[in-house]
Amino acid sequence: MLLAFLLSLIAGCGAPAAGPAAPQPVAGAMTEVGTPRAETLIVQTFDGKTNAPDNMNPLMSGYAIWRGFRELAWGYLWEMDTATGKSYPELAAELPVVLNDEYTQFEIRLRPGVYWSDGVEFTANDVIFTLDTYFNNRDKLTYFGVPVITNYVKSYEKVDDYTLRVETVKPAYDFATTMGVYTWGSAFNIVPKHVFEKVEDLAAFKNEYPVTLGAYTLKSYDPNGQWHLWERRADWDRSATAPLGEPKAKYVFYKNFGDEQTRTLAFIKNEYDVDTFMSPDSIDAAKAQNPKVRTFADVFPYHDMNDACAYGIIINNLKAPLDKPEVRWALALSLDLQNVGINSMSGQFKGSALPMPDTQITRPAFFEPLQAWLNELTLPDGYKPYNPNFGADMVARLTEMGVDPAQLPTGDAVTGNFGLGWWKADPAEAEKLMNSVGMTKGADGFYTLPDGSPWTLELVIPSDWNKVMQRVGFSIADSWTKAGFKVNARQVDNAEFTTVQNTNALLQVMVNWTTSCVFNTNFVNNWRTIKAENLKPADSNELITGNTPRIDNQFIFDKIAEAGAMDMSKPEFLEAGQEIIKEMITNMYYINMMNIPTTIPTNETYWTNFPKQDNAYAVPYTWWSSFKKILANIEPVTQ
Amino acid sequence: MKLAQYVVQRFIGYLLVLFIGITITFFLPRLMPGDPINNYISQVQARAGQSLSAEATQQLRDSLAELYGLQGDIFTQYRNYLARVVRLDFGPSFTYYPEPVSNILLDAMPWTAGLLITTTLLSWLIGNSIGLIAGYFNKRRWATILEVVGIILYPIPYYILALVVILLLAYWIALFPLSPTFLPGPMTWNKAVSIIYNSFLPALTLILAGFGWNVLAMKALAVATKEDAYVQFARLKGTTDRTRMTNYVFRNAMLPQITALVLSLGFIFNGAIQTEVIFSYPGIGMTMRAAAGAGDYNLLYGAIILTIFSVATAALILDLIYPLFDPRIRLGG
Repeated sequence: MLLAFLLSLIAGCGAPAAGPAAPQPVAGAMTEVGTPRAETLIVQTFDGKTNAPDNMNPLMSGYAIWRGFRELAWGYLWEMDTATGKSYPELAAELPVVLNDEYTQFEIRLRPGVYWSDGVEFTANDVIFTLDTYFNNRDKLTYFGVPVITNYVKSYEKVDDYTLRVETVKPAYDFATTMGVYTWGSAFNIVPKHVFEKVEDLAAFKNEYPVTLGAYTLKSYDPNGQWHLWERRADWDRSATAPLGEPKAKYVFYKNFGDEQTRTLAFIKNEYDVDTFMSPDSIDAAKAQNPKVRTFADVFPYHDMNDACAYGIIINNLKAPLDKPEVRWALALSLDLQNVGINSMSGQFKGSALPMPDTQITRPAFFEPLQAWLNELTLPDGYKPYNPNFGADMVARLTEMGVDPAQLPTGDAVTGNFGLGWWKADPAEAEKLMNSVGMTKGADGFYTLPDGSPWTLELVIPSDWNKVMQRVGFSIADSWTKAGFKVNARQVDNAEFTTVQNTNALLQVMVNWTTSCVFNTNFVNNWRTIKAENLKPADSNELITGNTPRIDNQFIFDKIAEAGAMDMSKPEFLEAGQEIIKEMITNMYYINMMNIPTTIPTNETYWTNFPKQDNAYAVPYTWWSSFKKILANIEPVTQ
Repeated sequence: MKLAQYVVQRFIGYLLVLFIGITITFFLPRLMPGDPINNYISQVQARAGQSLSAEATQQLRDSLAELYGLQGDIFTQYRNYLARVVRLDFGPSFTYYPEPVSNILLDAMPWTAGLLITTTLLSWLIGNSIGLIAGYFNKRRWATILEVVGIILYPIPYYILALVVILLLAYWIALFPLSPTFLPGPMTWNKAVSIIYNSFLPALTLILAGFGWNVLAMKALAVATKEDAYVQFARLKGTTDRTRMTNYVFRNAMLPQITALVLSLGFIFNGAIQTEVIFSYPGIGMTMRAAAGAGDYNLLYGAIILTIFSVATAALILDLIYPLFDPRIRLGG
């Protein structure tokens, strides 16, 4: 409450009746690290502070990846266009050439004319050296990509300086996204042969000021891990990202501006240009004080909703009584998602009924083709659980709450912004389903187990390391409690969160995102771990290493295996995905809720043309491939 | 002889406390849910589900256990751990592997120590001085005003106090930066000035936060002490107010305050998490918090052992210097 008071104090103070007066930019201003402000794009770090700011060795797990390394300094064989979900060649000259019908042999043709920042040309020798290094040092290198690639690649050979051939262990329709970039990162970080071949201890090598392939080099950094400063290469046109055009900012300064309240104040004062996951309350306060502060969209839900993952509820489908589809459906129908979204996100969210986020890429591939099926979906008792008017209902509820109609979407934008539909909030139907499996409400108003004993549902949610999910989690607990489920919402730390996710004995239900991550149409990338060998007994303390939704369904296992051996560009591949989704929903193995809202406000005092809903040339994240495109498209404001 | 016995007893107690603390530190994180190897495997599995067989997963698990120093049964690990701690080697950080924990702590320590030692001492000095004056002259109006300042500051939650100071001195009147920017490079005069300038607001908030308690505690002690017979006797002897306040009241009232000061100094290696978060100030607090969250045992051990060591050492120093301030202990009475 005190924080809300302080934010309203910030929002209210000094705002004249005619509208807020923005702090004015200062011509000739310099940043605190000595670069001209007008030439410097300043970004809040994604990871806050790092304890290893000097580690730029991409072969080790703890390197400082989150503050420009992959977006500014590195290049990959194939990058991902985040607006379309399609791979495009970056270090390669073209997409991989498939050499056999089994999809196991590939030719990689490199783009000539790409140079490392120290003037040495990038060639196939660097790629071969990196593969050799991965294979020869797999017991020392802790970068997660090392086991990925060494279990994926069977053999490789150089053809000439710009060509090499790779054979994979299994059919590899995802070759471009495994050897290149899938959403935000790549398992295959190519290192400069002429630098790394001289290193004796690769694990201890810091690579402090790395020789880069990207358009920037590291100019300076804070040994305390609060900031990194990058400078554009004079020969940026020989870098990996040259085809995108000249990056407009001469300097990119990543800095941790502190906790959210301090960051909000700094944002209002034009101290930086792009934030990372600011809460809706703080964004409202900043917008009230500075008209140059903008959200992704001008109307609800304001923020970009195209993240690769969605928030949902993992259910331990193996554990009674959650092993009954009726109970799982009852939980879904007892969850008033509109209330949850309004309480936890001020209504700024987009619902998604399928077990994946509803994005510009997945909607035409999966969501739209399945609408007719969802509308007709019927539970065994004849009940139709789908509400295709979810978006329109949200508009009505927000209007009732007094939201200015000008701030709400209209027409097609209603489903575009709030989603195509979600499950009905119907506790009465939920009660019928519970009763059908012998679970009735006791004298205290809460459901009991079939033998009449009390039942407490433990809902695991993140503690304050993920405040948005924490708030969503408490709202879910509230919604279920009102519907008659006795819920114990237990907050856990980051490390415990992963342990609960992977341990049957510890898990009943938890708010999570890992099951739903699908960015391009390759659903297999995430769901390939859904197989029988990853299941453990319901109360096992042995950790699972996949199949986090605990799906035990032979049809789904077979379909995923079948899809894994399909050409992903063929319609059959998408149809297989749709079949899997139908089976998942029919059994309600996993309750998906909403796309992860990426609340990334920009301050357009010094730079404009950031990606916005009406100009969505990339997703707006500064820690994904998209930032390469953003840097080439932003424009400086003439002071 | 009595003094030597006193010192030896205290020193044995000190070593015992260290041993028990270090042992608990080893076992406690292992009882915590979360495991760095499993976290890593999960991350890899999410990307390599198609290609990572059960054998490959086990191979990866074994290799990580060796790299992280987690191979062998728990007693083997404990023995290795004790041997390493003696050498101040806490192993590598799991999160930032292969960065040695000692490097991470050594980088953070000067910032934490510099900020917290300075602010703890200043807060103690200013607070106790004001408390003494307010207590000694407790009938005067200005003394009441000083006490009110202490009463107002003491209960304000640190977070709110920090935000108000930021709003006043960095947002509305932009005298100081909203968040510090410490420049790299060797220490020069300019760099030292820049560090002081950038650290001013965090320091001010810590002084204000600690100051109220010192005012109130010293004022209460001074009011009680000044009525003691030896102070009245000194007054009748014709000593000045200043002499009685400093030589009679303060010297006797400061004993519990010194205990509090030394123990506060012992706790400084816990860091000041809120200060570090609000001001994005470097230090040990956030490092420790992040290590606990991520299951980074080694880093957590290192940070906690540092705290155990500093608190136990502070207590030892207190035991050793107390006879200097309190003749009753010196004389065994």
